[in-house]
Amino acid sequence: MVVLSAARWLRSRLSDRFWRVQEVLKYARHFRGRKNRCYKLAVRSVRRAFVRSTKARREKKRFLRALWITRIEAASLEHGLKYPAFISNLLKSQVELNRKVLADLAIYEPKTFKSLAALAQRRRQEGFLAALGDGKEPEGIFSRIVHHH
Amino acid sequence: RYVRQLQRLQLLFSPTAADARGARQFVEEAAQDFARQHPDVVLYVSPHSGPGPAPVLRAEYLNGTVREELIASKTSEEIVQLATKLANQSGLDIVRIRKPFHTDNPSVQGQWHPLTNKPSILTIQGPRPQPQ
Repeated sequence: MVVLSAARWLRSRLSDRFWRVQEVLKYARHFRGRKNRCYKLAVRSVRRAFVRSTKARREKKRFLRALWITRIEAASLEHGLKYPAFISNLLKSQVELNRKVLADLAIYEPKTFKSLAALAQRRRQEGFLAALGDGKEPEGIFSRIVHHH
Repeated sequence: RYVRQLQRLQLLFSPTAADARGARQFVEEAAQDFARQHPDVVLYVSPHSGPGPAPVLRAEYLNGTVREELIASKTSEEIVQLATKLANQSGLDIVRIRKPFHTDNPSVQGQWHPLTNKPSILTIQGPRPQPQ
């Protein structure tokens, strides 16, 4: 006779429980305490760890930008400029380098960074002359703006 | 010129197992077309008789990595898609790349150290004064 469905009292049992448990535990192996061994505790910890890692991706951008700013501030203070003066004068001289690149230059290319600081300082002086002198002196050299069309 | 990183594809399946039906259909219909479309990949078809391990598609790459993909209970089209995916991959491990760039010489002008921007009088160590 043909049986199309199993009898009601027959129940199937899990055979790959070990691998299902290992899938979760492999992400908990570097945790501290019993949550790296016991499945029940590990499930909660692994879920929280994943949630935290997704949320932290937004924080990472803020954190790295603050780190770059700290480094650029330290490097420009070595050359006698404060960070807001440095950044604003660089932008006014149409040097559009972002903070990541400036931080890398400050670490790996100190002479280039020194020349950038000197450029910002010169542009700052020309800005002061233009604001305070008013009129008779000619415009500064580094204050000229190049128009790209 | 493009060099395909996939060296050989081994199709290991059993001719009688029920879950290797897709593999058998692939061998009958699509394997020749696939081999003609990818002339630089060697396709080995090795049926092992009797009940054995699950049907598997093993890909070997030029840098030595071997990647095995289960094809149990897959249709012929799905196996074709899988095979093209493996053929377009390189053998590098599939891990998250931390940085998309790498240099062996990061510094051209010399890396910054605390004494780069200080007057060089600090690095000079003259003769020690004699104790008198």
